[in-house]
Amino acid sequence: MQRAGHSHFSDATHHAPESSLLLSFEHVTKFYGPVIGVNDISCRVGPGITGLLGANGAGKSTLIKLASGQLRPSQGTVRIGRHAAWSTAAKNHLGYSPDTNNFYEEMTGRDFVYTMARLNGFSRREARQRTDHVLEEVGMTDRARRRLAGCSHGMRQRIKLAQALVHDPWLLLLDEPLSGIDPGGRREINELLFRLAGQGKTILVSSHVLVEIEQLASSILMMSRGRIIASGTLAEVRNLMQYRPLTVEIVAEPARRLAALLAENPDVLGVEVRDSVLIVRTRNPLRFFAQVGDLVCANGIDLRRLQTLDSGAEAVFDYLQQGRP
Amino acid sequence: MKLFRAWLTLASLTFRRLLWSANTLMVLLPLAACLLYVVRRHFNAEGFSTDEFRQFSEFMILVFASFVVPICSLAFGTASIGGDREDRTLVFVLVRPIPRALVLVAKFTATLPLVLGLVVGSFWIYCRLAGEVGQAAFPLYLPAIIYMTLAYVCLFHLFAVAFRHSTIIALVYALFMELLLGNLPGIIKRVAVNYYGRSILYAAGAERGLPPPDPQWFEPLSVRAASWALAGIAVGGLLLAIVIFSRREYRDLT
Repeated sequence: MQRAGHSHFSDATHHAPESSLLLSFEHVTKFYGPVIGVNDISCRVGPGITGLLGANGAGKSTLIKLASGQLRPSQGTVRIGRHAAWSTAAKNHLGYSPDTNNFYEEMTGRDFVYTMARLNGFSRREARQRTDHVLEEVGMTDRARRRLAGCSHGMRQRIKLAQALVHDPWLLLLDEPLSGIDPGGRREINELLFRLAGQGKTILVSSHVLVEIEQLASSILMMSRGRIIASGTLAEVRNLMQYRPLTVEIVAEPARRLAALLAENPDVLGVEVRDSVLIVRTRNPLRFFAQVGDLVCANGIDLRRLQTLDSGAEAVFDYLQQGRP
Repeated sequence: MKLFRAWLTLASLTFRRLLWSANTLMVLLPLAACLLYVVRRHFNAEGFSTDEFRQFSEFMILVFASFVVPICSLAFGTASIGGDREDRTLVFVLVRPIPRALVLVAKFTATLPLVLGLVVGSFWIYCRLAGEVGQAAFPLYLPAIIYMTLAYVCLFHLFAVAFRHSTIIALVYALFMELLLGNLPGIIKRVAVNYYGRSILYAAGAERGLPPPDPQWFEPLSVRAASWALAGIAVGGLLLAIVIFSRREYRDLT
């Protein structure tokens, strides 16, 4: 795990895959006129599901557009396997599901996916077979004859996923693929992505909803202000928390006695007492948790509850963002 | 083979989408208006009259070739790429393994027969309805009509790849440059494609007694020079469009 500064190389790969199955960014910077979209990013994305996290404007879309060859980097290189992402050769290995909701509205879902298969150069017969297969994969077989203009948002998301999969690429770039999908559908899509990851595909999923990524991705790339601020497994990112201030809620009796004892602890930044509830800010959570047990036992305090108030991924993300200049 | 199949699919998809678009209805209006004029004018079905030939020719040159042909070319020429850009479906094509240059050529290949079909088909109908003068005019004017269509379609493809709201810009171009500047006296009309087309059309019509235009208002180029100019606009426009499209980032697609 690493906090990825502009000169570091972030790695969102779980193991050492062949370089031909890597999406790699090397010192990639993208300017939009005077505005910087992504700033000196270096990272590799390997087989498995990698979540791309960040608030709106963090640079996720720019990164995805660079990876899908819609944009060319102002500096650095983006490669899909051995090919520059901008090149035609790279497109053979790429499946892309955009976050926009635009289609050839006059077509049925089936026609759309079939057309995309044909645009990949497959014969009519093979395109039909692939279309049938991929529609089944995304759970749209029975609804694929509906015109896209009349499809729900969730159905359109599945069709977008189907067109990205129809040529069986090893790299999938999915921009907010779960937005607008109901919980049942979300589970089905997640299962599909797990299956694809199990087949060795490299899947980069962008989202600003951390819960989605927590459920789905084994690795994450966190972006803020055009930079990757952290990468690795979610557990690794969580480990960052042990060296950061943390707020802890303690329910104990007598609360005031415990508050007085905690106030003497040099790792405690502040204690707030609300009846039997203490809100404690600590500068070193790991050491604090080790000491508080001893303190409670030694002083005969009835400890009823101890929980952190900001230990979720949202808090990690907030913390990591605040840590940037 | 895979690339050819993909290219053919794209050309066929573009053709179908253009044909069944609102643009087809839009261009049918001016074409129908021209048809109405020819029908209402009651050209003599039997026998050739120089006066009728002059009237028919002037209508074809000043209205059909100078206004309707650019409008038809504009409607489909900008829509083939520009339409996909505006409705943001171009991204589905750009992430497929088809070189961008071939994407543009496929779009152009789909658009040209459609526009030529509409323009030449309607011109043929007008000529049939106009009787003897029409039958005389058709072979004389057909090459220039085809050259102009080709030049306009190429030019409007260039607009489509270069500008985000290409239809509006092309419309402004057609009305301002083609209609206004193209009809001003002096050298300024050379910025308009229709100047070169009209030069060829007047020269062709002269064979059957069409009087030359007033040199104070319109001094035509030679047929050879005008043909080269139209060819240059067509080839140059298309090549430039290919180069721009191959290199350009379309940031507004997603």
